[in-house]
Amino acid sequence: MILPILWILGSAAVFIFADRFPERVRDQLLPISVAVILCALWSIAVTLSGTATFPSPTDTWVGMVELIESNRIWGDIVASLHRVSWGFCLATLVGIPLGLVVGWNTRTFTALNPIIQGLRPISPIAWIPIAILWFGIGDGAGIFLIFLSSFFPITVGTMAAVRNISLVHQRSAMNFGLHGMQLFRRVVLPAALPQIITSLRIALGVAWLVIVAAEMVGMDSGLGYLINDARNAGSRYDLVVATMLVIGVIGIILDLLIRQLERFDEVRWGYARR
Amino acid sequence: MKNDNKPSERNGERPKVIFDGVSKHFQKGKESLHVLDDINLEVRDGEFVCLLGPSGCGKSTLLNIAGGFEQQDAGRVTIDGEEVDGPSSKRVFVFQEYGIFPWASVWDNVALGLRDVPKEEREETVQRTINMVGLAGFERAYPMELSGGMKQRVEVARALAVSPDVIYMDEPFGALDSLTRLTMRSEIIRIWQQEQKTILFVTHDVDESIQLADRIVVLSARPGRIAEIVEVDLPHPRDLGSPEYGVIKNRLYALLGVEHTI
Repeated sequence: MILPILWILGSAAVFIFADRFPERVRDQLLPISVAVILCALWSIAVTLSGTATFPSPTDTWVGMVELIESNRIWGDIVASLHRVSWGFCLATLVGIPLGLVVGWNTRTFTALNPIIQGLRPISPIAWIPIAILWFGIGDGAGIFLIFLSSFFPITVGTMAAVRNISLVHQRSAMNFGLHGMQLFRRVVLPAALPQIITSLRIALGVAWLVIVAAEMVGMDSGLGYLINDARNAGSRYDLVVATMLVIGVIGIILDLLIRQLERFDEVRWGYARR
Repeated sequence: MKNDNKPSERNGERPKVIFDGVSKHFQKGKESLHVLDDINLEVRDGEFVCLLGPSGCGKSTLLNIAGGFEQQDAGRVTIDGEEVDGPSSKRVFVFQEYGIFPWASVWDNVALGLRDVPKEEREETVQRTINMVGLAGFERAYPMELSGGMKQRVEVARALAVSPDVIYMDEPFGALDSLTRLTMRSEIIRIWQQEQKTILFVTHDVDESIQLADRIVVLSARPGRIAEIVEVDLPHPRDLGSPEYGVIKNRLYALLGVEHTI
């Protein structure tokens, strides 16, 4: 009880005297101090409530070490990432070309857009029973669900990107005689690319949310399954919370990785402050 | 001044661009907007003509029709006797907002219209044009790294690179700060004198039109008609303080129906 209070006081001191640190150090220290305060409050709440089931930060840390040392978690991480990468890549391969065509061609847009908009609001979670019916318990169902959850953001984002190409750029292209594949390669695709990358980012985020839910319900491996399994096998909430933290960290890493796409010279203009 | 309408007869040379009875309506819901009414104008080869008028008088629409981006309801536009029926790199726009591609380098932007030109000639032309607009050293830069004035120079270079018959400029310097705008005006005059292109330049800025044009076509408010064509018979570089300048300025303000003393 004393220790967490000291942690809170220490972090509060960092917060108050933040100006005295060099800017680079301060940018690291501020979020860390908030994280420390949250952990300390968590620890105090566990102590005060006298709960026997909910883990303290220390319990969670011990659980994390157990997961890593038992090697169990690596298999589940690989299982989840495997489904997400396949589903996401397939959705990219189908969604970007489809979005480009539907966005560019008005007739295709008129025909397909209502269907796409109608299917889009159906949560991928709602597809789980059908996914299991079609693909059984296993990777197939997971990949299918990730495909669905990435496909709509990517397709709709790409469509919107193409339809947003500015009139001046379209006219420039016409003025300099661009048509067919050249128009596509030199104007349509590069103009849409920044927004396409943003839609990929959104899609990957959604995919990572959905895979956990899918694995909890209808799969026998993966991080979602690990959470369910830890609870069912003797209410190991320390492992539940530890796995949640792992899911969070991997989510951040995935986002950092896909954001690297935003750094190319050809797309940086799309993210500049206007 | 009315007979200035037919410069070709006066000079005995064939006009470059001819507007022959051009009219245009826009359908806005149930309302029909009469934007341009019976525009007749002849532009000489190598002439710098400004279209001056209040906002909404149809001057940009007139330029878009001449560029083949919009279709007139009546009349026709011909360039060297050939009717305009769509966009072409023989008549190139320098746009009001930035029409250059932000995803391509300065070099690639300027080379846009030269895709079918042999490599050696293309590189020579691109470099020469970039040098001409004063962007040497910025070939690999991307538009977002350039100032507003430099971006507009890229636009001008992209247009010049294809050696078009006519250049259309739709308030090209409208987004620039006033000092950059002055610099760009003298640059465009320098380039125009060097390249001897025919330029149609849309503006609502009285000073800009007097500083640039051989002739100023003053359009009335909607429906746009040619109110008068004012000849600016002053040599470049023009002295903004000269009495002749003041006379033309007074005339233009009177035609536009605004007081220029505040």
